[in-house]
Amino acid sequence: MESYRLLEHTADMGIEVHADTLEELFAGAACALKEMIWGEAGGRAIEERTVSLRGGDYGELLVSWLSEILYRFEVEGLFPVDFELEEIKGTSLRGRIRGEPFDPLRHPVEREVKAVTYHRLRVEPSDGRWLARLYVDL
Amino acid sequence: MTLRIEQIDACRWRIPKEGAMRTEGLVFASRQMMAALQKEEALAQVRNVATLPGIVGPSIAMPDIHWGYGFPIGGVAAFDPEEGGIVSPGGVGYDINCGVRLLRSALVEDQVRPRLKALADTLFTNVPSGVGSQRRDLKLSIEEETRVLRQGARWAVEHGFGSAEDLLHIEEGGTIAGADPELVSERALERGRAQLGTLGSGNHFLEVQVVDEIVDLRVAEVLGLFPGQITVSIHTGSRGLGYQVCDDSLRTMLSASRKYGIELPDRQLCCAPLTSSEGRHYLAAMACAANFAFANRQLITAWVRESFAEVFALGEGDLRLSVIYDVCHNIAKMETHKIGGENRRLCVHRKGATRAFPPGHPQTPELYRSVGQPVLIPGDMGRYSYVLVGTAGAFSETFGSTCHGAGRVMSRHAAKKAAHGRNIVGELAARGILIRAAGQATVAEEISEAYKDVTEVVDVVQRAGIGKIVARLRPLAVIKG
Repeated sequence: MESYRLLEHTADMGIEVHADTLEELFAGAACALKEMIWGEAGGRAIEERTVSLRGGDYGELLVSWLSEILYRFEVEGLFPVDFELEEIKGTSLRGRIRGEPFDPLRHPVEREVKAVTYHRLRVEPSDGRWLARLYVDL
Repeated sequence: MTLRIEQIDACRWRIPKEGAMRTEGLVFASRQMMAALQKEEALAQVRNVATLPGIVGPSIAMPDIHWGYGFPIGGVAAFDPEEGGIVSPGGVGYDINCGVRLLRSALVEDQVRPRLKALADTLFTNVPSGVGSQRRDLKLSIEEETRVLRQGARWAVEHGFGSAEDLLHIEEGGTIAGADPELVSERALERGRAQLGTLGSGNHFLEVQVVDEIVDLRVAEVLGLFPGQITVSIHTGSRGLGYQVCDDSLRTMLSASRKYGIELPDRQLCCAPLTSSEGRHYLAAMACAANFAFANRQLITAWVRESFAEVFALGEGDLRLSVIYDVCHNIAKMETHKIGGENRRLCVHRKGATRAFPPGHPQTPELYRSVGQPVLIPGDMGRYSYVLVGTAGAFSETFGSTCHGAGRVMSRHAAKKAAHGRNIVGELAARGILIRAAGQATVAEEISEAYKDVTEVVDVVQRAGIGKIVARLRPLAVIKG
């Protein structure tokens, strides 16, 4: 199981996630990002994108994964509904984003996230579980 | 590690060199601002920047400093390529060449007030704002987009958006040299393609203002400003294209930092020597994004002119909406500065800071050569903005830089809480300020109280001699993304 919360920052915002597995951790971070942009807005999982990424370490991989969600939204107009991480191993990730075409009336944007930053980025084991913390640029 | 800070005078503070710092920190702030600053991380970020290789002079923070990611917002730092100096995408930020353009008009408040609602609505329709919104009459092929990246505002003028005279009053003439679109990823081009000529959201805005007070009559005359005059401010940047260029560059710089053995107190400070291929490539890609931003503000200017003409049924000759100046707030530039009596080429990073070149400087536009380069400082949507000019003091002490805005003091959550249960749009309307906003949370998160009072910020700047106040502008209508 994963749980997340949004963190305070003077100019921007952060995300903190706790989860039992790395896969749940990355999915939880994606849910937190979605809440930051769209609040409670929901939708149907009728489209799917497969994602395959490489990064220097888990932290860089997490930034890439969240950046991928932003990119798919901005360029392909995909409103994300759920996230499935198939495998995170070493420096590579395989996963899926499911969602529906973005409709500003049904998915009103609460705030635009410009980018996911490396500032104070943490992905590490914590009390037998996993912890991630990161900040985004608004 | 606790941070030592020493007061130098009423508006200067020193962070002494210690540990891994290569130089000291210099912070411009009043005593009251400093008390607030010590509660957050911004000062530690000033110290972190001081550890980077090849830094020349102090790691500087302007009075609108606040906690950023990596570099503080309101930070200025210069690096010497001949001394292993670096360039850092984090020292510019995601929104490359986020900046402000100020237009003056021949109209006065009494002419505009009766049609203000229509003007706000027309601007809100004609200038795309908010996520996903764009003009249907501007479709850009990737090939055309690469021309925008090379030419900046000049591309827009050549395509009928504005006049050649506009270009004379833009930092770098609206085109930063050395832009190489080959170094911009397909992803960045894709993100930018639909976003040229859009305002964006968050703190970006388009504001119809009135000149509320002239502080320096002589300079105001040169800038063409008079009391009661209508002006328009445009605050936006390079949109998704710039965010992606920064993102791509950070990935390269993370491995470059490891390759060149640069120790980083925060990964967001990742960088490469200015003389390395990674460093040169970043500057060439950054120039592309900066040019995109200049073109963006040029297009929006054309639509502002179109909106005024539509609402007031007046021609260009009667409206005379001309560009006073257009400044970058997030940029790194190679500039010549005097260090120890010797001219040196340095890479000056301004992240949430404005170039403020003095009277007589060859890069100060000819029209303003006798008074100094105009500096545009937006405040918050309920109070004021300021027009300043650069000074010799700024040139010698801060690499020709000054502040860029009010600076946030409240997190978005705190601002939302403070706005809860209030009708912010109604409160502002009661004070004669109309708001049109695309985003749901934007108005609450951008309330006046979320920012420092910009008057206090420019007061410190003026007392420190790194900028000279010319005029104060008051908002009448604000378009937010």
